[in-house]
Amino acid sequence: MMTSEAVQSIEVTVRSIICSELRVEPGILTNTTHLMKDLGADSLDALNIALRLEETFEIKIPDEAIPNFLTIEDIITGVRNHMSHT
Amino acid sequence: MKVEDVQPNMTKRRVVVTGIGVVSPVGVGTEKFWSALSAGRSGISAIEDFDTSALRTTIAGVCRDFHSEEFFDERELSRLDRVSQMALAATEMAVKDAALKAGDVGGFDTGVILGTGFGGQRSIEDFCGAFFSNGQGRRSAIAIPKSMYNAPSSNIAIRFKARGPNITVTTACSSGANAIGQAFYLVRYGHAERVIAGGADSPITPVVMDAWKEMRVLSTKNEQPARACKPFSANRDGFVLAEGAGIVILETLESAVARGAPIYAEIMGYGSTADAAHITFPDPEGEATAMMRALSDGSLQPSEIDYINAHGTATKLNDASETEAIKRVFGSRAYEIPVSSSKSMLGHSMGASGAIELIAATMAIKTKVLPPTINYEEPDPQCDLDYVTEGPRDVSRLTGVMTAMSNSFGFGGNNAVLTLRGISV
Repeated sequence: MMTSEAVQSIEVTVRSIICSELRVEPGILTNTTHLMKDLGADSLDALNIALRLEETFEIKIPDEAIPNFLTIEDIITGVRNHMSHT
Repeated sequence: MKVEDVQPNMTKRRVVVTGIGVVSPVGVGTEKFWSALSAGRSGISAIEDFDTSALRTTIAGVCRDFHSEEFFDERELSRLDRVSQMALAATEMAVKDAALKAGDVGGFDTGVILGTGFGGQRSIEDFCGAFFSNGQGRRSAIAIPKSMYNAPSSNIAIRFKARGPNITVTTACSSGANAIGQAFYLVRYGHAERVIAGGADSPITPVVMDAWKEMRVLSTKNEQPARACKPFSANRDGFVLAEGAGIVILETLESAVARGAPIYAEIMGYGSTADAAHITFPDPEGEATAMMRALSDGSLQPSEIDYINAHGTATKLNDASETEAIKRVFGSRAYEIPVSSSKSMLGHSMGASGAIELIAATMAIKTKVLPPTINYEEPDPQCDLDYVTEGPRDVSRLTGVMTAMSNSFGFGGNNAVLTLRGISV
């Protein structure tokens, strides 16, 4: 199990990656914010965010998992799951 | 969807330039560009963007007045290589200049034909850097769409919804001229009603500068950047690398008149040949034949040309070969035709140069002022034509419309020549 500090730190980092890749202000992100529907991201943005997450957390996100990495909540959960599997 | 009855028009439709957009080392926009060029001002300066200490040449034609954030937001910028940024900015200016509204440009009747020599070179270097630095560099999922050679023309199509033929021409230094020539044919023979045509290149990078260094064709007169490029002068020592974009809107004379559009000039003819000799050594016969074809394609006689905007790179080989080619085409009249090199002021923007120089020739016709060849200092027996070396030349004494020729010769032996004429109103 991860400590609550570790979980919080993942959240902060994920939000910061999304903000920097999509050039949006942190204040507009909620847990249910959808990268494509709410932030105008496209598939290339999603791939770039996946790449940053892989580099930052030293995880491997398989191709088929990328469609599940589209809301803030799902991304955070996904990163946590992948981290605990590696 | 039904198949439309589209028949190529085998009668030659007259094709005119109705809009101009330019990003150049002497300024952004036609007004700044032409006021500098027609006054003989150089745009060459010391490179400041990266360390040049290992290079023999430390100067270039950098577009210092091009501030991409004036045209794009941060998100857009992250997706666009500098070459696409310049091409899009020039297109925006050209569309506006042609008095076309964004909606008028869209549709399957509008093509985009763009020349580039280096494409998204900066982005290529970024992702190569990331790859070769063993994970230290920043990788990106956008590297391919940002760096591919057709990115600028595709980005233009996307932004302006231009859904007709979209083709990128890459013939080194003649890319921009070949692009305009191909676009001219599309409109002339009815394959498109209007075409956004021109060239863009942004090759001033550490890797490209180093590669040119090994070819020893760049000027090393670093101490006086504005005086470095000396086309046709005996003491010339090579070209100065530059960046930029030149875009013209081509459409039929009929459509331009019908919508009351401003008309800069008529494209008369286009000649395109290959030397098929050596990959870099120029061949006057290939060049002369392209010039002859640009004349005959426009039903022009050599006696009708009032001005030649030369390729004029300031390399030993080009300037002598081009001079020889002009003499073969024009005979004794070669000595009476003013020939000038805009590269003396702009440097050599590779795939953009042919388009930017077509714009220079267009403005010369329109204003009846010939841009000079600056920095001419010593006569070369092999280069003995009238190179407009005394400064800008007022030719308003010429009655009637002017007719000009614009030469572009690329490495690979790719020659492209355009002829153009003013429009009497």
